[in-house]
Amino acid sequence: MRNKVKRYAMLFDLRKCIGCNACAVACKSENNVPLGVWRSWVKKVEKGHYPHSKEFFLPIVCNNCENPICVTVCPVGASIKRSDGIIYIDPHRCIGCRYCMAACPYGVRYINPKLNIAEKCYWCHHRVDAGLKPACVLACPTGAIMFGDLNDPESDISKTMAKNAVQVIKPEMGTKPHTFYIDLDIDTVEAKQMEEE
Amino acid sequence: MDTQVIYNIIHQEAFGLNIAIYFYLTGLSAGSFILSTLAFGFGMKQYKPLGKVGVVLATMLLIIAPFFLLIHIGMPYRAWNLFVYLNFASPITWGTFLLVLYPINCLIYGYFMFKGNMRLTRIFGFIGIPLAISVHGYTGFILAFGKARALWNTALMPILFLVSAIVSGIALMILVCIIKDRFFSKEKKIDLTLIFNLGKLLAWMIIFDLFLVGSDLIVLSISHSDAQAVAHLLLLGKFSPLFLIVENLLGKIVPFILLVVPKFRRLTTIVVASILVVIGIFFMRYVVVVGGEFIPLI
Repeated sequence: MRNKVKRYAMLFDLRKCIGCNACAVACKSENNVPLGVWRSWVKKVEKGHYPHSKEFFLPIVCNNCENPICVTVCPVGASIKRSDGIIYIDPHRCIGCRYCMAACPYGVRYINPKLNIAEKCYWCHHRVDAGLKPACVLACPTGAIMFGDLNDPESDISKTMAKNAVQVIKPEMGTKPHTFYIDLDIDTVEAKQMEEE
Repeated sequence: MDTQVIYNIIHQEAFGLNIAIYFYLTGLSAGSFILSTLAFGFGMKQYKPLGKVGVVLATMLLIIAPFFLLIHIGMPYRAWNLFVYLNFASPITWGTFLLVLYPINCLIYGYFMFKGNMRLTRIFGFIGIPLAISVHGYTGFILAFGKARALWNTALMPILFLVSAIVSGIALMILVCIIKDRFFSKEKKIDLTLIFNLGKLLAWMIIFDLFLVGSDLIVLSISHSDAQAVAHLLLLGKFSPLFLIVENLLGKIVPFILLVVPKFRRLTTIVVASILVVIGIFFMRYVVVVGGEFIPLI
Protein backbone atom coordinates (compact mmCIF):
# COMPACT_ATOMS: atom_id res chain seq x y z
CA MET A 1 0.00 0.00 0.00
CA ARG A 2 1.29 3.37 -0.93
CA ASN A 3 1.49 6.05 1.76
CA LYS A 4 0.46 9.50 0.49
CA VAL A 5 2.79 11.32 2.91
CA LYS A 6 6.38 11.23 1.73
CA ARG A 7 9.36 10.60 3.99
CA TYR A 8 12.51 11.37 2.13
CA ALA A 9 15.77 9.67 3.00
CA MET A 10 19.29 9.53 1.61
CA LEU A 11 21.42 6.42 1.35
CA PHE A 12 25.18 6.37 0.84
CA ASP A 13 26.60 3.10 -0.42
CA LEU A 14 30.13 3.41 0.94
CA ARG A 15 31.24 0.34 -1.03
CA LYS A 16 30.88 2.49 -4.13
CA CYS A 17 32.27 5.77 -2.76
CA ILE A 18 35.65 6.66 -4.28
CA GLY A 19 36.17 9.90 -2.30
CA CYS A 20 36.21 12.12 -5.38
CA ASN A 21 34.42 15.07 -3.70
CA ALA A 22 32.13 15.56 -6.70
CA CYS A 23 29.16 15.70 -4.30
CA ALA A 24 30.80 18.47 -2.27
CA VAL A 25 31.61 20.48 -5.39
CA ALA A 26 28.12 20.06 -6.87
CA CYS A 27 26.62 21.11 -3.52
CA LYS A 28 28.75 24.24 -3.33
CA SER A 29 27.77 25.21 -6.85
CA GLU A 30 24.07 24.39 -6.55
CA ASN A 31 23.51 26.10 -3.21
CA ASN A 32 25.90 29.03 -3.60
CA VAL A 33 27.81 28.05 -0.46
CA PRO A 34 30.45 30.67 0.47
CA LEU A 35 34.14 29.94 0.80
CA GLY A 36 35.26 28.41 4.09
CA VAL A 37 32.02 26.55 4.86
CA TRP A 38 30.51 23.35 3.47
CA ARG A 39 27.05 21.81 3.43
CA SER A 40 28.41 18.44 2.42
CA TRP A 41 31.90 17.05 2.42
CA VAL A 42 33.79 13.77 2.42
CA LYS A 43 35.65 12.91 5.60
CA LYS A 44 38.75 10.91 4.75
CA VAL A 45 40.40 8.65 7.30
CA GLU A 46 43.40 6.37 6.91
CA LYS A 47 43.26 3.23 8.99
CA GLY A 48 46.22 1.05 9.97
CA HIS A 49 49.87 1.45 9.11
CA TYR A 50 51.55 1.09 5.72
CA PRO A 51 51.53 -1.36 3.98
CA HIS A 52 48.48 -2.65 5.87
CA SER A 53 46.44 0.48 5.54
CA LYS A 54 43.47 1.77 3.64
CA GLU A 55 41.73 5.07 3.15
CA PHE A 56 38.09 5.23 4.16
CA PHE A 57 35.56 7.80 3.00
CA LEU A 58 32.57 9.14 4.84
CA PRO A 59 30.38 11.56 2.87
CA ILE A 60 28.57 13.81 5.33
CA VAL A 61 25.34 15.71 4.75
CA CYS A 62 22.60 16.81 7.13
CA ASN A 63 20.80 13.79 8.55
CA ASN A 64 17.39 15.52 8.36
CA CYS A 65 16.51 13.65 11.54
CA GLU A 66 13.05 12.40 12.42
CA ASN A 67 13.51 13.80 15.93
CA PRO A 68 15.66 16.87 15.25
CA ILE A 69 17.29 18.61 18.21
CA CYS A 70 17.94 21.72 16.07
CA VAL A 71 14.19 22.25 15.65
CA THR A 72 13.68 21.75 19.39
CA VAL A 73 16.22 24.37 20.42
CA CYS A 74 15.70 27.06 17.77
CA PRO A 75 14.29 29.98 19.81
CA VAL A 76 12.53 31.64 16.87
CA GLY A 77 11.29 28.52 15.12
CA ALA A 78 13.47 29.23 12.09
CA SER A 79 14.47 25.56 11.79
CA ILE A 80 11.38 23.89 10.41
CA LYS A 81 10.65 20.22 9.75
CA ARG A 82 8.49 19.68 6.70
CA SER A 83 5.92 16.90 6.49
CA ASP A 84 8.23 15.02 4.10
CA GLY A 85 10.99 15.05 6.73
CA ILE A 86 13.27 17.70 5.22
CA ILE A 87 14.49 20.25 7.77
CA TYR A 88 15.17 23.70 6.41
CA ILE A 89 16.08 27.07 7.89
CA ASP A 90 13.90 30.09 7.21
CA PRO A 91 16.58 32.60 6.14
CA HIS A 92 14.32 35.57 6.97
CA ARG A 93 13.68 34.46 10.51
CA CYS A 94 17.03 33.09 11.71
CA ILE A 95 18.78 35.48 14.11
CA GLY A 96 22.13 33.68 13.96
CA CYS A 97 22.22 32.73 17.65
CA ARG A 98 24.09 29.49 16.80
CA TYR A 99 22.18 27.41 19.31
CA CYS A 100 21.36 24.89 16.57
CA MET A 101 25.08 24.58 15.82
CA ALA A 102 25.79 23.95 19.50
CA ALA A 103 23.04 21.35 19.77
CA CYS A 104 23.46 19.42 16.48
CA PRO A 105 25.35 16.19 17.20
CA TYR A 106 26.68 16.03 13.63
CA GLY A 107 28.35 19.41 13.17
CA VAL A 108 26.67 19.99 9.81
CA ARG A 109 25.51 23.53 10.47
CA TYR A 110 27.54 26.65 9.87
CA ILE A 111 27.14 30.40 9.94
CA ASN A 112 27.04 31.85 6.45
CA PRO A 113 29.85 34.44 6.61
CA LYS A 114 28.01 36.77 4.23
CA LEU A 115 24.47 36.54 5.60
CA ASN A 116 25.35 35.81 9.27
CA ILE A 117 22.61 33.20 9.56
CA ALA A 118 22.78 29.45 10.12
CA GLU A 119 22.67 27.22 7.05
CA LYS A 120 22.91 23.53 6.32
CA CYS A 121 22.15 20.85 3.77
CA TYR A 122 18.42 20.45 3.15
CA TRP A 123 18.69 17.79 0.48
CA CYS A 124 18.22 20.49 -2.18
CA HIS A 125 14.51 20.79 -1.39
CA HIS A 126 14.12 23.38 -4.13
CA ARG A 127 15.14 20.68 -6.63
CA VAL A 128 13.17 17.93 -4.90
CA ASP A 129 10.01 20.04 -4.98
CA ALA A 130 10.50 20.46 -8.71
CA GLY A 131 10.77 16.69 -9.17
CA LEU A 132 14.55 16.60 -9.53
CA LYS A 133 17.18 14.72 -7.53
CA PRO A 134 19.51 16.62 -5.16
CA ALA A 135 22.66 17.95 -6.81
CA CYS A 136 25.03 15.54 -5.03
CA VAL A 137 23.00 12.52 -6.18
CA LEU A 138 23.31 13.57 -9.81
CA ALA A 139 27.00 14.44 -9.47
CA CYS A 140 28.13 11.14 -7.95
CA PRO A 141 30.04 9.33 -10.73
CA THR A 142 29.65 5.88 -9.17
CA GLY A 143 26.02 6.17 -8.20
CA ALA A 144 26.84 5.75 -4.52
CA ILE A 145 24.15 8.20 -3.37
CA MET A 146 20.51 7.30 -3.47
CA PHE A 147 17.62 9.61 -2.61
CA GLY A 148 13.94 8.84 -2.43
CA ASP A 149 10.75 8.27 -0.52
CA LEU A 150 10.91 5.69 2.27
CA ASN A 151 7.12 5.54 2.51
CA ASP A 152 6.96 4.24 -1.05
CA PRO A 153 7.95 0.56 -0.99
CA GLU A 154 8.52 0.66 -4.76
CA SER A 155 11.17 3.41 -4.60
CA ASP A 156 14.80 2.48 -5.30
CA ILE A 157 15.92 3.55 -1.86
CA SER A 158 13.25 1.45 -0.11
CA LYS A 159 14.17 -1.61 -2.13
CA THR A 160 17.91 -1.14 -1.53
CA MET A 161 17.51 -0.52 2.18
CA ALA A 162 15.34 -3.61 2.53
CA LYS A 163 18.08 -5.81 1.14
CA ASN A 164 21.18 -4.32 2.79
CA ALA A 165 22.50 -3.76 6.26
CA VAL A 166 22.29 -0.03 6.90
CA GLN A 167 23.57 2.15 9.70
CA VAL A 168 23.33 5.80 10.74
CA ILE A 169 25.88 8.07 12.42
CA LYS A 170 25.49 8.33 16.22
CA PRO A 171 22.21 6.40 16.62
CA GLU A 172 22.61 6.80 20.40
CA MET A 173 21.65 10.47 20.13
CA GLY A 174 18.02 9.51 19.65
CA THR A 175 17.62 11.92 16.75
CA LYS A 176 16.63 9.13 14.31
CA PRO A 177 18.78 10.27 11.38
CA HIS A 178 17.43 9.68 7.87
CA THR A 179 20.77 9.69 6.11
CA PHE A 180 21.73 6.03 5.97
CA TYR A 181 25.00 4.33 5.11
CA ILE A 182 25.81 0.88 3.78
CA ASP A 183 29.18 -0.43 5.00
CA LEU A 184 29.66 2.34 7.59
CA ASP A 185 32.91 2.00 9.52
CA ILE A 186 32.84 2.96 13.21
CA ASP A 187 36.55 3.90 13.25
CA THR A 188 35.99 6.36 10.42
CA VAL A 189 33.08 7.97 12.25
CA GLU A 190 34.92 8.22 15.54
CA ALA A 191 38.31 9.37 14.25
CA LYS A 192 38.79 12.88 15.64
CA GLN A 193 41.13 15.51 14.38
CA MET A 194 42.12 17.66 17.32
CA GLU A 195 43.25 21.22 16.76
CA GLU A 196 46.99 21.57 16.84
CA GLU A 197 48.23 23.37 19.92
CA MET B 1 42.37 0.59 15.34
CA ASP B 2 44.88 3.32 14.53
CA THR B 3 43.27 6.00 12.46
CA GLN B 4 44.42 9.27 11.04
CA VAL B 5 42.07 11.93 9.75
CA ILE B 6 43.28 13.06 6.35
CA TYR B 7 40.49 15.46 5.50
CA ASN B 8 37.53 16.71 7.46
CA ILE B 9 35.53 19.88 7.88
CA ILE B 10 35.13 21.36 11.33
CA HIS B 11 32.97 24.45 11.30
CA GLN B 12 33.51 27.37 13.66
CA GLU B 13 32.61 26.99 17.30
CA ALA B 14 29.01 27.81 18.15
CA PHE B 15 29.39 29.51 21.52
CA GLY B 16 32.53 31.32 22.50
CA LEU B 17 33.92 33.92 24.84
CA ASN B 18 30.86 36.20 24.50
CA ILE B 19 28.53 33.53 25.81
CA ALA B 20 30.95 32.68 28.63
CA ILE B 21 30.96 36.36 29.66
CA TYR B 22 27.17 36.48 29.43
CA PHE B 23 26.83 33.45 31.71
CA TYR B 24 29.33 35.00 34.11
CA LEU B 25 27.45 38.30 34.32
CA THR B 26 24.01 36.71 34.78
CA GLY B 27 25.56 34.50 37.45
CA LEU B 28 26.96 37.50 39.32
CA SER B 29 23.61 39.24 39.01
CA ALA B 30 21.59 36.28 40.30
CA GLY B 31 24.01 35.76 43.17
CA SER B 32 23.86 39.45 44.18
CA PHE B 33 20.07 39.47 44.03
CA ILE B 34 19.73 36.39 46.24
CA LEU B 35 22.08 37.97 48.80
CA SER B 36 20.07 41.17 48.66
CA THR B 37 16.88 39.31 49.57
CA LEU B 38 18.44 37.61 52.61
CA ALA B 39 17.71 40.67 54.74
CA PHE B 40 14.62 42.09 53.06
CA GLY B 41 12.89 38.84 52.14
CA PHE B 42 13.97 36.43 54.86
CA GLY B 43 14.59 38.93 57.64
CA MET B 44 18.22 38.03 58.36
CA LYS B 45 19.04 41.32 60.08
CA GLN B 46 22.83 40.87 59.94
CA TYR B 47 22.74 41.09 56.11
CA LYS B 48 20.67 44.27 55.98
CA PRO B 49 23.51 46.45 54.62
CA LEU B 50 23.66 44.14 51.58
CA GLY B 51 20.14 44.92 50.41
CA LYS B 52 20.74 48.12 48.47
CA VAL B 53 24.20 47.14 47.18
CA GLY B 54 22.81 43.80 46.02
CA VAL B 55 19.89 45.19 44.07
CA VAL B 56 21.98 47.88 42.37
CA LEU B 57 24.60 45.31 41.35
CA ALA B 58 21.99 42.79 40.20
CA THR B 59 20.21 45.35 38.02
CA MET B 60 23.35 46.84 36.50
CA LEU B 61 24.92 43.48 35.68
CA LEU B 62 21.71 42.21 34.11
CA ILE B 63 21.40 45.32 31.98
CA ILE B 64 24.95 44.83 30.67
CA ALA B 65 24.71 41.06 30.17
CA PRO B 66 22.30 40.90 27.18
CA PHE B 67 24.58 43.17 25.15
CA PHE B 68 27.03 40.28 24.96
CA LEU B 69 24.23 38.24 23.41
CA LEU B 70 23.61 40.97 20.85
CA ILE B 71 27.32 40.99 19.99
CA HIS B 72 27.23 37.21 19.70
CA ILE B 73 24.25 36.72 17.41
CA GLY B 74 24.76 37.13 13.71
CA MET B 75 21.70 39.30 13.10
CA PRO B 76 21.38 41.65 16.11
CA TYR B 77 18.75 43.83 14.43
CA ARG B 78 16.56 40.74 14.14
CA ALA B 79 16.59 40.20 17.92
CA TRP B 80 12.91 41.24 18.00
CA ASN B 81 12.14 37.91 16.31
CA LEU B 82 12.71 36.39 19.75
CA PHE B 83 9.56 38.13 21.00
CA VAL B 84 7.44 37.46 17.93
CA TYR B 85 8.21 33.86 17.04
CA LEU B 86 8.21 31.71 20.15
CA ASN B 87 9.34 28.12 20.58
CA PHE B 88 8.61 27.06 24.13
CA ALA B 89 10.78 23.97 23.76
CA SER B 90 13.85 26.18 23.47
CA PRO B 91 15.62 27.46 26.61
CA ILE B 92 16.52 30.65 24.73
CA THR B 93 12.80 31.46 24.46
CA TRP B 94 12.46 30.95 28.21
CA GLY B 95 15.36 33.35 28.54
CA THR B 96 13.64 35.95 26.36
CA PHE B 97 10.96 36.35 29.01
CA LEU B 98 13.29 35.98 31.99
CA LEU B 99 15.71 38.60 30.69
CA VAL B 100 12.82 41.06 30.41
CA LEU B 101 10.96 40.24 33.63
CA TYR B 102 13.95 39.92 35.94
CA PRO B 103 15.52 43.39 35.43
CA ILE B 104 12.06 45.01 35.62
CA ASN B 105 11.41 43.21 38.89
CA CYS B 106 14.86 44.27 40.12
CA LEU B 107 14.03 47.90 39.37
CA ILE B 108 10.67 47.72 41.21
CA TYR B 109 12.22 45.88 44.16
CA GLY B 110 15.06 48.41 44.32
CA TYR B 111 12.66 51.35 44.02
CA PHE B 112 10.60 50.25 47.02
CA MET B 113 13.74 49.44 48.99
CA PHE B 114 15.16 52.93 48.47
CA LYS B 115 11.72 54.43 49.26
CA GLY B 116 11.70 52.45 52.50
CA ASN B 117 8.45 50.58 51.78
CA MET B 118 9.36 47.32 53.53
CA ARG B 119 6.14 45.42 52.80
CA LEU B 120 6.35 45.86 49.01
CA THR B 121 10.14 45.30 49.08
CA ARG B 122 9.49 41.95 50.71
CA ILE B 123 6.81 40.99 48.17
CA PHE B 124 8.96 41.90 45.15
CA GLY B 125 11.93 40.23 46.80
CA PHE B 126 10.00 36.98 46.96
CA ILE B 127 8.87 37.39 43.34
CA GLY B 128 12.47 38.04 42.42
CA ILE B 129 13.99 34.92 43.98
CA PRO B 130 12.44 32.42 41.55
CA LEU B 131 13.19 34.85 38.72
CA ALA B 132 16.83 35.15 39.77
CA ILE B 133 17.12 31.38 40.06
CA SER B 134 15.48 30.92 36.65
CA VAL B 135 17.47 33.61 34.91
CA HIS B 136 20.63 31.80 35.77
CA GLY B 137 19.23 28.27 35.84
CA TYR B 138 17.99 28.56 32.26
CA THR B 139 21.54 29.18 31.06
CA GLY B 140 22.39 25.77 32.50
CA PHE B 141 19.55 24.31 30.44
CA ILE B 142 20.88 26.02 27.31
CA LEU B 143 24.07 24.02 27.67
CA ALA B 144 22.37 20.85 28.91
CA PHE B 145 20.25 20.72 25.71
CA GLY B 146 23.43 20.40 23.63
CA LYS B 147 23.12 16.66 23.77
CA ALA B 148 26.19 15.75 21.76
CA ARG B 149 28.57 17.65 24.06
CA ALA B 150 29.31 15.40 26.99
CA LEU B 151 30.47 18.21 29.24
CA TRP B 152 27.20 20.12 28.80
CA ASN B 153 24.68 17.33 28.57
CA THR B 154 24.14 16.71 32.26
CA ALA B 155 21.23 17.43 34.57
CA LEU B 156 23.78 18.84 37.02
CA MET B 157 24.42 21.81 34.74
CA PRO B 158 21.63 24.14 36.01
CA ILE B 159 22.41 23.54 39.69
CA LEU B 160 26.15 23.73 39.04
CA PHE B 161 25.60 27.10 37.39
CA LEU B 162 23.39 28.31 40.22
CA VAL B 163 25.84 27.34 42.94
CA SER B 164 28.75 28.93 41.13
CA ALA B 165 26.56 31.99 40.59
CA ILE B 166 26.00 32.31 44.33
CA VAL B 167 29.71 31.73 45.00
CA SER B 168 30.74 34.50 42.59
CA GLY B 169 27.91 36.73 43.84
CA ILE B 170 29.06 36.50 47.45
CA ALA B 171 32.67 37.18 46.50
CA LEU B 172 31.74 40.20 44.41
CA MET B 173 29.50 41.44 47.21
CA ILE B 174 32.36 41.23 49.71
CA LEU B 175 34.57 43.30 47.42
CA VAL B 176 31.87 45.88 46.66
CA CYS B 177 30.91 46.19 50.35
CA ILE B 178 34.52 46.82 51.32
CA ILE B 179 34.98 49.44 48.59
CA LYS B 180 31.67 51.08 49.47
CA ASP B 181 32.39 51.21 53.22
CA ARG B 182 35.97 52.30 52.78
CA PHE B 183 35.44 55.11 50.27
CA PHE B 184 31.78 56.04 49.99
CA SER B 185 30.26 55.68 53.47
CA LYS B 186 29.97 58.52 55.97
CA GLU B 187 32.04 56.78 58.64
CA LYS B 188 34.70 55.39 56.24
CA LYS B 189 34.64 52.30 58.44
CA ILE B 190 34.33 48.73 57.21
CA ASP B 191 31.64 46.55 58.79
CA LEU B 192 33.91 43.64 59.76
CA THR B 193 31.25 41.34 61.25
CA LEU B 194 29.28 41.52 58.01
CA ILE B 195 32.38 40.77 55.93
CA PHE B 196 33.36 37.81 58.13
CA ASN B 197 29.79 36.46 58.02
CA LEU B 198 29.84 36.68 54.24
CA GLY B 199 33.25 35.00 54.24
CA LYS B 200 31.83 32.05 56.19
CA LEU B 201 28.90 31.79 53.78
CA LEU B 202 31.31 31.92 50.84
CA ALA B 203 33.43 29.10 52.30
CA TRP B 204 30.41 26.79 52.60
CA MET B 205 29.15 27.59 49.11
CA ILE B 206 32.64 26.85 47.74
CA ILE B 207 32.49 23.40 49.34
CA PHE B 208 29.10 22.76 47.75
CA ASP B 209 30.45 23.91 44.38
CA LEU B 210 33.51 21.66 44.69
CA PHE B 211 31.22 18.75 45.55
CA LEU B 212 29.14 19.34 42.40
CA VAL B 213 32.17 19.75 40.14
CA GLY B 214 33.68 16.61 41.66
CA SER B 215 30.50 14.57 41.15
CA ASP B 216 30.28 15.74 37.56
CA LEU B 217 33.89 14.82 36.89
CA ILE B 218 33.71 11.40 38.53
CA VAL B 219 30.66 10.41 36.49
CA LEU B 220 32.16 11.84 33.28
CA SER B 221 35.35 9.85 33.72
CA ILE B 222 33.52 6.48 33.77
CA SER B 223 30.63 7.30 31.43
CA HIS B 224 30.46 6.79 27.65
CA SER B 225 33.44 7.40 25.38
CA ASP B 226 32.71 11.07 24.61
CA ALA B 227 32.38 11.79 28.32
CA GLN B 228 35.69 10.08 29.01
CA ALA B 229 37.30 12.17 26.29
CA VAL B 230 36.01 15.33 27.99
CA ALA B 231 37.23 14.17 31.40
CA HIS B 232 40.62 13.55 29.85
CA LEU B 233 40.57 16.99 28.24
CA LEU B 234 39.88 18.63 31.62
CA LEU B 235 42.27 16.57 33.72
CA LEU B 236 45.21 15.93 31.41
CA GLY B 237 44.48 17.71 28.14
CA LYS B 238 44.58 21.25 26.86
CA PHE B 239 42.12 22.62 29.42
CA SER B 240 43.76 21.07 32.48
CA PRO B 241 45.82 24.16 33.48
CA LEU B 242 42.70 26.33 33.37
CA PHE B 243 40.43 23.76 34.96
CA LEU B 244 42.66 22.32 37.66
CA ILE B 245 44.91 25.21 38.59
CA VAL B 246 43.00 28.42 37.81
CA GLU B 247 39.42 27.29 38.35
CA ASN B 248 39.68 24.78 41.15
CA LEU B 249 42.98 25.30 42.97
CA LEU B 250 43.27 29.11 42.82
CA GLY B 251 39.56 29.78 42.43
CA LYS B 252 38.14 27.45 45.07
CA ILE B 253 40.58 25.49 47.24
CA VAL B 254 42.98 28.34 48.08
CA PRO B 255 40.16 30.80 48.91
CA PHE B 256 38.47 28.13 51.02
CA ILE B 257 41.65 27.62 53.07
CA LEU B 258 42.10 31.38 53.39
CA LEU B 259 38.53 31.71 54.63
CA VAL B 260 38.29 28.86 57.13
CA VAL B 261 41.71 28.71 58.83
CA PRO B 262 41.35 30.99 61.91
CA LYS B 263 44.99 32.12 61.68
CA PHE B 264 44.31 33.78 58.33
CA ARG B 265 41.15 35.57 59.47
CA ARG B 266 41.98 39.10 58.43
CA LEU B 267 40.46 41.61 56.04
CA THR B 268 43.33 41.27 53.55
CA THR B 269 42.93 37.50 53.24
CA ILE B 270 39.19 37.85 52.68
CA VAL B 271 39.84 40.39 49.93
CA VAL B 272 42.43 38.12 48.31
CA ALA B 273 40.10 35.12 48.59
CA SER B 274 37.21 37.05 47.04
CA ILE B 275 39.31 38.29 44.14
CA LEU B 276 40.52 34.73 43.50
CA VAL B 277 36.94 33.43 43.56
CA VAL B 278 35.66 36.11 41.18
CA ILE B 279 38.45 35.28 38.71
CA GLY B 280 38.10 31.52 39.26
CA ILE B 281 34.38 31.49 38.47
CA PHE B 282 35.01 33.42 35.26
CA PHE B 283 37.37 30.65 34.17
CA MET B 284 34.79 28.08 35.26
CA ARG B 285 32.35 29.62 32.72
CA TYR B 286 35.09 29.75 30.10
CA VAL B 287 36.12 26.12 30.61
CA VAL B 288 32.52 24.89 30.52
CA VAL B 289 31.52 26.84 27.40
CA VAL B 290 34.70 26.70 25.32
CA GLY B 291 36.01 23.39 26.67
CA GLY B 292 32.61 21.80 26.09
CA GLU B 293 32.79 22.37 22.36
CA PHE B 294 36.53 21.85 21.98
CA ILE B 295 36.30 18.20 20.92
CA PRO B 296 35.02 18.00 17.33
CA LEU B 297 31.75 16.17 16.88
CA ILE B 298 32.50 14.27 13.72
